[in-house]
Amino acid sequence: MFLAWSEIKKNKLRFLLITSILLLVSFLVFFLSGLANGLASMNREAIDTWNVDAVLLTEESDKSLYESALNKEVADELDAKETAVVSQMGAIANNGDTKQNVMLFGIDREEFIKPEVSEGDPTFYVQNGVVASDVLKDEGFKIGDTLELSSSDTELTIVGFTEKARFNASPILYMKLNDMQKIKFGDAYTMNKDVVNAVVVKDKDWDTLSLPDNTEIIETETFIENLPGYTEQNLTLTYMIYFLFVISAAIVAIFLYVLTVQKISMFGLMKAQGISSAYLARSVVAQTFILALIGVVLAFGLTLLAGSFLPNAVPIMFDIPTMILYGLILIVVAILGAVISVWTIIRIDPLEAIGG
Amino acid sequence: MVLELRNAKKTFGEGNTLVEAMKETNFLVERGELVAVIGPSGSGKSTFLTVAGGLQSPSEGQVIINGKELSQLNEKQRSKVRLQEIGFILQASNLVPFLTVDEQLELLNKVKKDNMSKDEQRKLYEDLGITKLHKNYPSDLSGGERQRVAIAKALFSKPSILLADEPTASLDSDRAFEVMELLRNETKSNQTATIVVTHDVRLIKYVDKVYKMTDGVLKLESTAEKDLGLTE
Ligand SMILES: Nc1ncnc2c1ncn2[C@@H]1O[C@H](COP(=O)(O)OP(=O)(O)OP(=O)(O)O)[C@@H](O)[C@H]1O
Ligand SMILES: [Mg+2]
Repeated sequence: MFLAWSEIKKNKLRFLLITSILLLVSFLVFFLSGLANGLASMNREAIDTWNVDAVLLTEESDKSLYESALNKEVADELDAKETAVVSQMGAIANNGDTKQNVMLFGIDREEFIKPEVSEGDPTFYVQNGVVASDVLKDEGFKIGDTLELSSSDTELTIVGFTEKARFNASPILYMKLNDMQKIKFGDAYTMNKDVVNAVVVKDKDWDTLSLPDNTEIIETETFIENLPGYTEQNLTLTYMIYFLFVISAAIVAIFLYVLTVQKISMFGLMKAQGISSAYLARSVVAQTFILALIGVVLAFGLTLLAGSFLPNAVPIMFDIPTMILYGLILIVVAILGAVISVWTIIRIDPLEAIGG
Repeated sequence: MVLELRNAKKTFGEGNTLVEAMKETNFLVERGELVAVIGPSGSGKSTFLTVAGGLQSPSEGQVIINGKELSQLNEKQRSKVRLQEIGFILQASNLVPFLTVDEQLELLNKVKKDNMSKDEQRKLYEDLGITKLHKNYPSDLSGGERQRVAIAKALFSKPSILLADEPTASLDSDRAFEVMELLRNETKSNQTATIVVTHDVRLIKYVDKVYKMTDGVLKLESTAEKDLGLTE
């Protein structure tokens, strides 16, 4: 648009200011969305990898894996297409150099949730051998490391690594169910060897299954939302992003309004000449669009660039479709911010601009 | 005829504060006619000009431009009449601060058809002595140069009516005479109806008719300079 672009060219500094503010806000939005995504993925990537439809827990566990304890026989009672049992236990693993909060997952050999080994022994199912989440490599853990556990005398050996194996913000060590039950229950092993935390279910019609007594089946997404801290964390970040949308609308609105007020007599003169309000309003909207687009696109690139320089410890994971959506929202919101200016332009009386 | 006021009257306020800025006025200007409106400050000259130009509606009576009665039109349509039919040269500089001289005219090309051709534009720049200034922004022009660009802008759209409020106010005498000469030539060659509001009685020799505004009353003063004997 001729008028919009001519003004930007003439008053570069002025428009550079507003664009850079938009850029910073957009950068923050993109960064927070990456953080939200990264933190979410720390909590759920293992479950997402399993690709299950539902999770069976005890009723009184209140949808918490940690509080649920059921006999692994129920997996067979459940007439589902595919099932896998999971026994879980939190621990501190120490390889001699580093201590690390981990989550032990005991699973059966033939289960579909058996991890794909990216490095090491693909048939990891050996005595007290574990396949560890590959994030532990960054902490200095290696194949062959012997791990001491905080709660047991049993020592574990890392036989392999696997990708995307974090659950509720802790790296997973996958191991043989029986070995794990011995560690978990100690002297009470014989009595409890069949007690697992949950049965995960791969079956689109999971909600029509008849359930064993005292159990409850929930959709995977519901299960994830009930992980401690997950929903709270997500909501906090989402609200921050929403709030940034409001802020950027307000910034654009105020800035454009100030510019518009300065130009009232100029707009009035143009209107006196017969240039329509619609043309002038379109010009302001076009200007906002140009500035917002530049700001958002630069922020997009800058975010990805900054992301590539961050240490792996920062849980940032960019989801391009989400970023594009947020970018579009930022542009729309900026244009909404121009509404007050458009309204002001429409109401300018050309006569006042002319004076006596 | 091009522009006509029929029993047009403009008042502001009411009761004790009522101001009759323009008393009942009948006025007619034809194509190819250049008329001057003179009168003391506050006598109602600008009121007359803005009513005639469709920038404000008369309190009573009619304004007719090329057969269109303005009070029958809505603001959008009136705005279109201004764009198509009228060239304004205003007291305040009516240039857009962030457009160069060329771009000021280019803007009109964006919103309206049938403006001057490139050749006509070049000729106009020469006539006005602004050829070298065509890439300048208004902030880089003197007051007089700005006024001449404003005139170029008004003529560029080839209006049928030219309304000028003190077009020579910020010009030296020689330039002022040149501008009047130019307005006269444009009026004659393009057959525009031109109304010039001015304080400067020396400019009257260029016009066909002189009207005098006194306390809101517009009166035909003379059709020739020699009969005037006016002093301001
Ligand atoms: N919007 C308005 N509201 C109230 N009174 C007005 C308004 N516009 C003009 N007037 C009054 O109408 C009268 C004529 O004003 P106008 O501007 O037409 O004078 P003028 O002849 O153009 O003066 P000048 O030579 O100083 O430009 C003045 O008394 C002025 O105060
Ligand atoms: Mg005036």
